[in-house]
Amino acid sequence: MAEFSSRGYFALPGPKGQNCGERNLQRSSNFRQSLRLPQFGSVSVAIMRISAYNWTHIVACLLVGVTAMLLSFGALVTTYEAAMAVPDWPATYGHNMFLFPWDEWFHGPWDLFLEHGHRLLGAVTGMVTLCLAAVAWRSSVRPAVRWLAVAAVALVVIQGVLGGARVLLDDKTVAKVHACTGPLFFAVAVAIATLSRRSAEVVAGGATRLPVALLVAAYLQLVAGAQLRHLDATVDPATFRGLVALHILGAVAVTVLSVVSAVVLGEDGSTAARRWSKGIVAFVIVQFLLGCGAWVANWGVPSSILPEGWQLAEPLRARSVGNALVVTGHVVLGMLILGASVVLAIEAGAIGRAAGVREGRASERAFA
Amino acid sequence: MRFTFIMAFVATAVGCGKTPPASFRLNMVQATKTAAPESGMEKPWSSWANDRQKQVATILEAMYGTPDAPVALAETGLDLAKLQLAAGPVRSDIVGRKNGLYREHCAHCHGISGDGMGPTAAFLNPYPRDYRPGKYKFKSTWRDARPARDDLTRVLHDGVPGSSMPSFALLPPAKVDALVEYVRYLSMRGETELALYTYAEQELGVDDTMPTTKEFLVDEILTPIVEKWQGAEEARIPIAAVPTTLDFTKPGDDPANHESVARGRALFHGDGGCVKCHGVTALGDGQANDYDDWNKVIVEWGKEVAGGLGASQDDAGRAAWLHAATDVIEGDALRPRPIPPRNLRLGLYRGGRRPIDLYRRLYTGINGAPMPGVGPSGPGGKGSVADAEIWHIVNYIRSLPYEFDGELGADRPMVAKDRL
Repeated sequence: MAEFSSRGYFALPGPKGQNCGERNLQRSSNFRQSLRLPQFGSVSVAIMRISAYNWTHIVACLLVGVTAMLLSFGALVTTYEAAMAVPDWPATYGHNMFLFPWDEWFHGPWDLFLEHGHRLLGAVTGMVTLCLAAVAWRSSVRPAVRWLAVAAVALVVIQGVLGGARVLLDDKTVAKVHACTGPLFFAVAVAIATLSRRSAEVVAGGATRLPVALLVAAYLQLVAGAQLRHLDATVDPATFRGLVALHILGAVAVTVLSVVSAVVLGEDGSTAARRWSKGIVAFVIVQFLLGCGAWVANWGVPSSILPEGWQLAEPLRARSVGNALVVTGHVVLGMLILGASVVLAIEAGAIGRAAGVREGRASERAFA
Repeated sequence: MRFTFIMAFVATAVGCGKTPPASFRLNMVQATKTAAPESGMEKPWSSWANDRQKQVATILEAMYGTPDAPVALAETGLDLAKLQLAAGPVRSDIVGRKNGLYREHCAHCHGISGDGMGPTAAFLNPYPRDYRPGKYKFKSTWRDARPARDDLTRVLHDGVPGSSMPSFALLPPAKVDALVEYVRYLSMRGETELALYTYAEQELGVDDTMPTTKEFLVDEILTPIVEKWQGAEEARIPIAAVPTTLDFTKPGDDPANHESVARGRALFHGDGGCVKCHGVTALGDGQANDYDDWNKVIVEWGKEVAGGLGASQDDAGRAAWLHAATDVIEGDALRPRPIPPRNLRLGLYRGGRRPIDLYRRLYTGINGAPMPGVGPSGPGGKGSVADAEIWHIVNYIRSLPYEFDGELGADRPMVAKDRL
């Protein structure tokens, strides 16, 4: 039986008291010997140490970080309506994207800075995703992680094409699809990072499917939010009213599911599941406040339902940094809630469990 | 293979759901209201009405273009370069200049056509301004005159406190200027549309088509509209000198202003007639069941249609018109809301809080709203309050948020706490 190791899937059966690093070095050494590699003294030791790292997990974590930055930039692009700041694609004003002059990027218009930065981050994300897929397929990670890495490559390609189509067609429908695919990709990246972190046995359990429902609700809430964010001005008020109602219903669903998940997992969940579920509840509370702030920033105090005295004495300033941060923060926090829901679902054993068990057996066969 | 499938799926999804190009919406309320059928009409009413609406739409497109490609006839005096900066979808051109300012900043509330029916409009109170009748509330010109260019600029720069209209002070002046021009353009277009419907209702028979000659469209329809806009700069109200008995640099309870505030209070309760709506307490608790002009059209026409539906409908054309009118009232107009008188103790003035802003509101009233003016209704007229005396009412109004209101039986000032 494998033991828990924060280092991840290299945690193998071994004598008690032996630390993970020693076990991993031992395993790497055996592996090198089986390939009849020559000894090169300290260099060989260094290679062994490097190979002892859980590279899939490391690259996946890097991907999560880069994707979070990419989506935040994307949210800012939408907030400032900067999506069409660069009329061509994949070139930027005729330049190769990577060769676009830095001084023009930094000292040009703000919307150009955002859009070109979003494109560059998108390219970096694509490269990191390819690296992740390569590392995952060359490592002894679970098959589920490998296939998720493949899905991530497919998604990042689709997302890139959608981004290009949004510019070339100048179409809001494509923008909405683009905005819905981004969080999906982020969720996959978080899932890879979480599943590649630990051994199969740790994810046993999963008495409740609530985290899965929360995960789905969190994603659908982002989809509903994207419809509001990328609203076309030709839409009639009744449609907008329906979208707002949908978004509020989604908020209620996410709130209820996050609270119930925290209560249920607080009683019989793992330590990590308890922590994540409580963290999500805290996120949701902040998200509610940011949602109210986003409404006020966009459309003022809702005087139809609040007393007249609640009106702001000074009108808000359109395109102010404060407004942009509140509105963008609402989107980014929604994405973080989705990511946290993915982690919670895995930690609670609601998803990834079956794949983990299969991997556990495969590991046992491989090292028997 | 898988990649090909995915790309085919994406291409299909994108192709099917592509957002159609923006187009101006007709003013369906006026189009239907002015198209009441004559008895014995042979052609089905809906077909006849559609034909008339198509004629109007064609003329408007020829005179004003589309939301993506505006046209500025020389007679309008509009600046096409500014219109092009404000019109169209939000995108940067080849030199990096951002176009589509109206759709970026305004259209979500005011609508593509400037009809005040943008997607978010139903949630806002008050509703966003409908530019089409050419009526604007906060301006420096006579009540029925069009606003001067700097009146619109000021509203954009300062926003409208107590409404959802934000301040665009962070936009460069050139962009604000382009937006002002586009608002004027939408107003002229809307007024032209209204004039065409009115002409059709009054002058055209059932089988007549709308004239399309330059003499008719420019001389008869467009010129009177443009003259109003171009005459706005000369239509400013006179501003009386501030009496020496008041000092706006000091608060209302300062001894230097006691006499002025007392005089203002007397006018507020007396000749000014302010208490009728704002109430003796100035809390806005007087008459509160009136509508502004934009809502009043819907309310009154709604009553007429409801009355017609209740009567016998032997005439098929009239029955079709009444049902179409019902659909328009329910689907092409926002639910009418009464306009409550302002609570003057909040210190929240939508048209601006400077003494000069309050003076102008008092002098001409608020165009389109039930608020009447205490000054003359036009040049050479006589108001209910002398021009210079209006400053005392201004002084009294400015003192209201800080006044100890004995009439309410309270021994504390009506300040921020009471707003809640």
